[in-house]
Amino acid sequence: MRADAIIRRVPWGAILRPLVTAGVVLGAAEIAQRAGLLPVFVPSPSQVASEMIANPRLVFGNLGPTAWKAAIGYAIAAAIAVSAGAVAILIRNLYGAVYNFGLTLHSIPIIATAPLLALWLGTGPQVQIAIAGLASQFPMLVGTMQGLQAADARQRELMHVLSASRSQTMRYLLIPSALPYLFAGFKIAAPSAVLGAITAEWAGADRGVGAMMLYALFSYDTPKVWLSVLLTCVLAASGYGVWVLIERIVVYWDRDVQLAE
Amino acid sequence: MSRNINVNQISMVFYGRGEPTIALEKVDLHIPAGQFAAIIGPSGCGKSTLLRLVADVMQPFAGSVTLDGDTPRAARLDHALGFVFQSPTLLPWRTVKQNVELPLDIVGRKSKRRSGLSPAELIELVGLKGFENSLPHELSGGMQQRAAIARALVLKPDVLLLDEPFGALDEITRQRMNLELLRIWAESGTTALLVTHSIAEAVFMSDQVFVMSARPGRITSVIDIPLPRPRQLEMMRTPVFFDCVNRVRDGLFGHEAAPAESRLQAVEAY
Repeated sequence: MRADAIIRRVPWGAILRPLVTAGVVLGAAEIAQRAGLLPVFVPSPSQVASEMIANPRLVFGNLGPTAWKAAIGYAIAAAIAVSAGAVAILIRNLYGAVYNFGLTLHSIPIIATAPLLALWLGTGPQVQIAIAGLASQFPMLVGTMQGLQAADARQRELMHVLSASRSQTMRYLLIPSALPYLFAGFKIAAPSAVLGAITAEWAGADRGVGAMMLYALFSYDTPKVWLSVLLTCVLAASGYGVWVLIERIVVYWDRDVQLAE
Repeated sequence: MSRNINVNQISMVFYGRGEPTIALEKVDLHIPAGQFAAIIGPSGCGKSTLLRLVADVMQPFAGSVTLDGDTPRAARLDHALGFVFQSPTLLPWRTVKQNVELPLDIVGRKSKRRSGLSPAELIELVGLKGFENSLPHELSGGMQQRAAIARALVLKPDVLLLDEPFGALDEITRQRMNLELLRIWAESGTTALLVTHSIAEAVFMSDQVFVMSARPGRITSVIDIPLPRPRQLEMMRTPVFFDCVNRVRDGLFGHEAAPAESRLQAVEAY
């Protein structure tokens, strides 16, 4: 493909519109802050930006630990949630138990359990990993359980008339039709893992966005607090974005089918 | 190979909310091996249920179904059944070719059930050459249904069950598909059972038409169609065809509903 053809294929509108929106919002915040319209604890965007430029080690030294802890917790949760969901579909008697257990774990207030888990597991990264997993498991469990039931009655009848075995039905019908639901779960769970890891860092961690946030809060360093908020958003959104990209490649067949039916 | 279809005194009851519904009451159906038969009746008369009982998708409340002496379950496990649904029911992540090959993936590529025609030839036969690598959502409804028919024929079924396969198609495509289906049926020698709403379609396609009434579903008359084979569209202008259409109509609505100009109506109906 020639260069100009590539340039023409880039969805400029889709890229420019959010950039322009962000620019307008940030510009308005900057002007409002300089005009004294905002309270003192809301810094101007330029203050946050200069904070970031002045301390690159602060940014990357804390972003990295949070990112990998969230990712590991998320991966473990994904493996367990998908397996548990599949087992619940295969063994119908376990369906209610698995679902309710996932829901109960999801309802636990992390802010209260993080310090308790720290006492139990020690103050290493294992606490943040465990909490990231706890915070993110439920959407993936629901996605698996809903997805594996998503094949419609006609498609099931087709497999039945062809006398497909259970594993063939799983492979040719149930797993592919589960993928859109599974990806919905993965996408929703990714920001939760980041937020879980950060909340867990409040309970004791030397490094990480959560530790940085807590430290900045206690020293009334509002630009750093806002910087840590910004970093949290960046991490959470990239976790989501990665799955959007993977989904586009893997689920190539129903680009315009919406999950909300 | 083909099998005869014997439905003996089948009754079917559905328990929903409230009163149980009698979907089928003491239905008898005998179709010799290699014949093309049609079931026609109003909506909700249980004709799709009847087809699903033959396909072993449902179990009868009373009575029995045998296919050359075998139970539907044995025939199904022997991969002897082909089923075309009302909707195409293609797997959306598979291309046309992959969808047509699905039965081969399940039975095994070296199965003795494999039809004499390859997937590529079947795709050509149903007029989808050039669309082998398209995904179902890229095709029109008619094209999807043709892919579904190719899929039903990729294994040589002893019994081909068709549940209003062309209901969603326009009249022109429908006639073409009917002719194609008859040609494929004649080549394969399979026994075919077609469920349809259309009187003209039932008569044109079949050796035997079973007329059903609703609530409870019963077979009210069986009409033999003496038209010669292979069937051609011109036969739809013959007195024999009109006579058969009128007899099916009488079976559906009773004599009082067929006035003197019924022949004219039959022409309009098509």
